[in-house]
Amino acid sequence: MGERTNIMITGVSSYLGRRIAEQLLQRSGYKVIGLDGEKPSEEIKGLDFIQADIRNPLIAELLRTENIEIVCHLGFIESEHPSEPTFDFNVMGTMKLFGACAEAGVQRILFKSHTWVYGALPNHSAFLAEDQPLGGSRVTGSGRDLLEIEGLCNRFRKQSPETTLTILRFAPIIGLNADTPMTRFLKDSFAPILLGFDPMMQVIHEDDVVVAIVQAVHSDSNGTINIAAEGVLPLIRLLGLVGKLPLPVPHFVPYCRSKWFGNLTTMSHWPIEPDHLRYSCVADINKMYTELQFTPRYTAEEALREFAGIRRMSGYPTRSTSLSYDEERLRDTIERRRRDKVRSADSPMKPAERG
Amino acid sequence: MVEAANTPCSAVTKTGTPCKNTALEGSTYCWVHQSYTPDERVMEQDRVDSPVNGEDLATVVDENSQEQLAAELDEMISQVKEIAPDYTPPPFSPKGLMKLLQENIDRFSPPVRLQILERLRSGIGEDMLDIDTWKGIWYMLNYTVEYQSDFLKRRLTGDYETDEWGLDMEFVDTVRPFLEFMHHNYWRVETTGIENIPNEGCALLVANHSGQLPWDAAMLGVSVYNEHPTQRLVRTLYADWFPTLPFVSAFLTKMGQVLATEDNGARLLEKGEVVSVFPEGIKGVGKLYKDRYRLARFGRGGFVRMALRNQAPLIPVSIVGAEEIYISLAKSNTIAKMIGFPFFPISVTWPWLGPLGFVPFPTKWFIDIGEPIPMESYQSGDANNLVLVSQLTDQIRNIIQQMVFSRLAQRRSVLFG
Repeated sequence: MGERTNIMITGVSSYLGRRIAEQLLQRSGYKVIGLDGEKPSEEIKGLDFIQADIRNPLIAELLRTENIEIVCHLGFIESEHPSEPTFDFNVMGTMKLFGACAEAGVQRILFKSHTWVYGALPNHSAFLAEDQPLGGSRVTGSGRDLLEIEGLCNRFRKQSPETTLTILRFAPIIGLNADTPMTRFLKDSFAPILLGFDPMMQVIHEDDVVVAIVQAVHSDSNGTINIAAEGVLPLIRLLGLVGKLPLPVPHFVPYCRSKWFGNLTTMSHWPIEPDHLRYSCVADINKMYTELQFTPRYTAEEALREFAGIRRMSGYPTRSTSLSYDEERLRDTIERRRRDKVRSADSPMKPAERG
Repeated sequence: MVEAANTPCSAVTKTGTPCKNTALEGSTYCWVHQSYTPDERVMEQDRVDSPVNGEDLATVVDENSQEQLAAELDEMISQVKEIAPDYTPPPFSPKGLMKLLQENIDRFSPPVRLQILERLRSGIGEDMLDIDTWKGIWYMLNYTVEYQSDFLKRRLTGDYETDEWGLDMEFVDTVRPFLEFMHHNYWRVETTGIENIPNEGCALLVANHSGQLPWDAAMLGVSVYNEHPTQRLVRTLYADWFPTLPFVSAFLTKMGQVLATEDNGARLLEKGEVVSVFPEGIKGVGKLYKDRYRLARFGRGGFVRMALRNQAPLIPVSIVGAEEIYISLAKSNTIAKMIGFPFFPISVTWPWLGPLGFVPFPTKWFIDIGEPIPMESYQSGDANNLVLVSQLTDQIRNIIQQMVFSRLAQRRSVLFG
């Protein structure tokens, strides 16, 4: 195993991109090239950073020159309202990148998606498998862009069978650094829910997202895989675990607002689309265990309890002091690092095992 | 009527002791035993008139029951200690114990209450319950009180259990008294063939649907939960209209009911649950009064496919009595379309009486659970065999129709059975 695998990570300056790059660099079986329009806020040791946009027509040239085998596509701009610039980056950028990959003979592409692309609909089964037709709503910018990209992926799989495309669909991500509609919903001063509805929810811890993507890079699984933490919770119980009191609103209120005021005001206090507060959108995670052989380190309940601690502390001005007493967390980190070190010394190519 | 002084009744009560009432004039029997035949006077079973006393009970409660009680208590205590290891009850005192007993005993239904009291009483009579057992009872009762004051806090902080479908047993226990009232007192449901449901492993109950609102599904659930020896919770598959309704959707989810899709049903059966389906669906529940007890088309056979996929036995169930709880005379499609309902019944009371129109008639119900149709002889691949699926669908529909008709033939009155 002398050869190192060349891997390119787009959107490396984002929090997830940085963590994944670090993880891959630790394993020493990889040469990691990071691509992003902006420089990472702090330098990543050992990372070969290239400042470029994924829409650049010379990307294919770059991929060929660097002999890239795997592209991990994380470059995605979250947006609440559909807008042209984000659409251009997210959808058109992805299209151009995929085209460049096919042209340069890249073997594998990994793409991070969301389980909410299935959509929250009243007639959905309780657990949605990967082959479920996508019925997500196009109200939010991110939702629309993801659905467009998923459609693109579908076409790409048929047109370029020599490049395997792995899509990881993650449940809403929560954690200290994650900034997703779910974390915004849980951090807001009040948590609106729809009166008389208590849909089932899934979440995943941000650390597990990193591990899952690294695991997917290691394994040769292809196709689409749903990833969520163990445990499906009713929304009201989820809010209870985070330590928030739900604020019930009659269910037609958010729908009226969107009808009357369009997209201008609707989403400002509804970080989660009303549909997801009304109906469940729960993914079947069987394939995650069997095909990806990945078990999240945090169960949904553990992730939420940890998030509750973070939320409570966020009210106090000095987060750094509060964390300096957080022995548990540091101990966990030290343990993990120690284990990772032992493991990489043992066999550099051994896939990550769960702690 | 003058009673003969001091002549005791010569009948024998069920516990084997002589009757303590005084005999009526001109008879050797008291007023209770006066009307009985000679056999009944000796073998009298249920009409013990004299107050229950300790001696009588000593013969009723067998030797082992005290040990059993002690063992059960020990087990309960160890369970509680597992959940709440830090809990220590307040110091033991007989007075406090009696007070706790009084407060807590009212929660149980009269037969259970009597059973508890009889057991405790007999324990004292036999001197078998030593102070430790009483302390055990003290511990348990105190824990119950503590647990209930803790309830609200746990609900608010999300510290309760739900399964992956959303079933919340605490919620079920809260709603149960109402459903049991409807079951025992209002509709006086009589259930037969409960032994046809296996003690463990999956089974698919297939029943006829009726009654405008899905009361029949709830009553079938109560019947199985209360009368089955292993207290099986039935997972009913409901129509996809219910999730769109506020409160109803949350209620059904918390009760462990699941949307009717083939995937959901198959997954539940795979987990070894008892699933009930009403393949007539909306067509069945919205039947007009003139069409009562005539089964509608049985869906598209999805329930047979989910049974075949898991080789789950199909158990036909007939529910009689639910058709008459609302008398639907007509259906208005226009109103239904306007308010987004799948159907809008015009009944004798609805919508004329407003909310009172929801009050169902107190008919007498019969739930007959038939012999299971085993599925082991089929392969799971047979679920794709359209001919087989439609054959089985028709077969089970005919069985249920026959069961309904044979029950109707026996029924003499709609209200009294």
